[in-house]
Amino acid sequence: MEIHAGTAARKSPEERVALVGTPNVGKSVIFGLLTGTYATVSNYPGTTVEVTRGNAVVHGRRLECIDTPGINSIVPMSEDEQVTRNILLAERPLTVLQVADSKNLARALLITLQMAELELPVILDLNMVDEARDRGIRLDTRALGRALGVEVVRTVAPERKGLAELRRALAGGAAAVPSAAVRYPKIIEDYAGRIAALLPPAAGPGRALALMVLSRDETLGPRLRCALEPAAIETVERLRGECERAFARPVGPAIHEARLRRAHELADAVTTRIAASPYPIMRILGTACTHPLWGAFALAAVLLGLYAFVGVLGAGVLVDLFEDGLFNGYVNPFLTSAVQLLVPTQFLRDMLVGPYGVITMALTYAFAIILPITATFFLAFGVLEDTGYLPRLAVMVDRIFQLMGLSGKAVLPMVLGLGCGTMAVLTTRVLETRRDRLIATFLLALAVPCAAQLGVIMGMLGGLSLTAFAIWFGCLGAVLLTAGRLAALVVPGESAGFILEIPPFRLPSARNVLLKTGHRVVWYLREAVPLFIYGTLALFLLDKARLLDTLQAAMAPIIMDFLDLPREATTAFLIGFLRRDYGAAGLHALRDQGMLDPVQTLVSLLTMTLFVPCLAHFLMMIKERGFKAAAFMFLIITVVAITAGGALNWALRALAIPLG
Amino acid sequence: MQDFAHKILHDGPGAQSLFEDETLETVWDFVELGHTPTVADVVARLGDEARVRAVSLAGFITIAGDRISLTPAGKQRARDVVRRHRLAERLFADVLDIKDYEADACHFEHVISPAVEEGICTLLGHPPLCPHGKPIPKGACCKLYTRKLEPLVHSLTDAEIGALLKVTFITSPGLQRLAGLGLVPGATLRLQQKLPAFVINIGETTVAIDRAVASGIFVRHV
Repeated sequence: MEIHAGTAARKSPEERVALVGTPNVGKSVIFGLLTGTYATVSNYPGTTVEVTRGNAVVHGRRLECIDTPGINSIVPMSEDEQVTRNILLAERPLTVLQVADSKNLARALLITLQMAELELPVILDLNMVDEARDRGIRLDTRALGRALGVEVVRTVAPERKGLAELRRALAGGAAAVPSAAVRYPKIIEDYAGRIAALLPPAAGPGRALALMVLSRDETLGPRLRCALEPAAIETVERLRGECERAFARPVGPAIHEARLRRAHELADAVTTRIAASPYPIMRILGTACTHPLWGAFALAAVLLGLYAFVGVLGAGVLVDLFEDGLFNGYVNPFLTSAVQLLVPTQFLRDMLVGPYGVITMALTYAFAIILPITATFFLAFGVLEDTGYLPRLAVMVDRIFQLMGLSGKAVLPMVLGLGCGTMAVLTTRVLETRRDRLIATFLLALAVPCAAQLGVIMGMLGGLSLTAFAIWFGCLGAVLLTAGRLAALVVPGESAGFILEIPPFRLPSARNVLLKTGHRVVWYLREAVPLFIYGTLALFLLDKARLLDTLQAAMAPIIMDFLDLPREATTAFLIGFLRRDYGAAGLHALRDQGMLDPVQTLVSLLTMTLFVPCLAHFLMMIKERGFKAAAFMFLIITVVAITAGGALNWALRALAIPLG
Repeated sequence: MQDFAHKILHDGPGAQSLFEDETLETVWDFVELGHTPTVADVVARLGDEARVRAVSLAGFITIAGDRISLTPAGKQRARDVVRRHRLAERLFADVLDIKDYEADACHFEHVISPAVEEGICTLLGHPPLCPHGKPIPKGACCKLYTRKLEPLVHSLTDAEIGALLKVTFITSPGLQRLAGLGLVPGATLRLQQKLPAFVINIGETTVAIDRAVASGIFVRHV
């Protein structure tokens, strides 16, 4: 779900290969191994929500590889599945490298059968043969290849087993359109034939399209309107209606059931099962994580572990080490004297090392405060992702999310939002309805602080007291639940209902976790550091032009009178829009300078947490949800943040709660 | 319903038997509510007074003055008709999700055999009430059921944890997404847990669903 800067140039590939398969079967791992391009790999369905492309050279042939979001069927159920379906229809000629989960062969064959209908040449890769073997499942690869009429290879992708055979199959052009076909009930076959006859060859494989029409695939609409005259569309719809009346029971499910039955026939014919140890340790752990009692303990342990690793080690020990030790002790004094010596004008010197200096402010914040926190967070988060804990967390919190009109599935984007909100908005694509995506986007922008910001906040609250932390957390939770509850009532439409596949619990591979963390940190710095620098430059110029004072004076009624904060806090909120973590770091600096008392610290932190998302996040909201929705959310969030901050300030002062 | 009742009561072979059914059913309705119906009450619903009086000649009802009561044989037959009618209502309303099921239920009560009646009752888990809240007279299968406590088909929400179950039908809104995960009628699943959300295993696939989705998945023991 990372946003990749464009991958390798698209120079006339000799062949285009799409990696296709059910969710969470290892497409991205194989993509990474073939192309050397990193695509995020995690142990939960829906990690890949957009397409990544990269070039692979196998035995001298250059292939353009496309990593696609996982699908359960070519009739798409969510936005990410639609992306894949569109590639399969539009990007031709195309070879499909189907990646299958060996322990779930029937579900994979369901897709292979649909590739046959789409008339796409396929190479079938049975991945995770190790996991299948551990569960006592043996597959006869050769018999499967004969039954399907395609080349079948076996791999264990993370261990690079079978990769050579896979490359050989790709290089040899071994792909073939599967010969296995599904026989549908006669009425359906008849009408599929009649509809297919109406479709121009240019529209794509007729039988497959006709079956999609009969399955009532609404997402096909624009495509048909492009390819057909309005009169022909009417005929197609009339035929579909006739078929539904003639068949007298829902046609879509009947089509699916016919496919599934055939897939099971094919799978059963090549599968042998032998007894496997019924209680392997990972399965017990995985089951415990969703258990009503043990699951709660596991959740508490995970939260405590996260706090210890990110809050104490990252935001505490490492930040102290970097900020006070390295930067303020060595780097900044050294660079300051170097600048004083080498740079001729006072203006430029101030720009680099003044109070709003690029080095003393932007780079110090970025590398001394934010980097240790994000790095530890991404590391811990990567471990959680790769074990498969996150979907289990979704099971634990489903009921709470139902209160907010969402299902537990929305926990995935929300938890990712703790890493980076911008990424998380993109991940809302895994949610099935527009309503769910809207509410999740709104709540992400309002009440989910990103890791960097969270780290700074924890560091500052840790300096106060547990009460302060509890108040901050309680307020945030209350705002999240209230806003979610209200949004659920206001936003029209229905929730999709909670249906989420739970992947096996696995021991994470150190290699993937480190690789992923490295990529995320680099990505993060690339995103953050330039904005830190621009923000600092803007502040510097505002300060020099004496506009900062004017701005602070203009904001005084809100910042000083309503929120009771020092005027300098205005600066933190301003840069907070560029990056929220930068804003939080600004508050951190104010507190270090003794300009915030405990109440002010708490009020400013709550307001900052709820405050409008940073620029990149906001742009992503516009891209995914449209300008109108994004702007509306922006407005609501600003009002809620300031109101909540003001209310907290008033309450804290009225009740005079000791904060430490 | 009026048209249909009129048609079957006055035309075709077996019309007399159907009219007896309707008469007994009407009398049952009154008795159930604690009333003793008059001939006029029944005629108001079914029309033909001469035919109503003919039912008494067949030995199912007695008419004293103008008050009607059921004979033991009539009571037994009325009970069976009412039971079939209300079971049919439940079947059409709950399983087939048909809104205007009344006319069909009226039709059904006359034609199904005891074996079909028992099958439906078992399929529905021996329901105690019809969709209107009136009691469904118990059959032989229901008495057996109170001993075995084992309805054949029930919602996943009523299943036991750890049970191996076969899906009979699905009425959940997420039907298609469930199908994509291999959860279709005929599939075998194991219920892993019910709280905080339902978790089920289908082969090597594990799926979490909420209570609303689970309540629309109907299963039977394997």
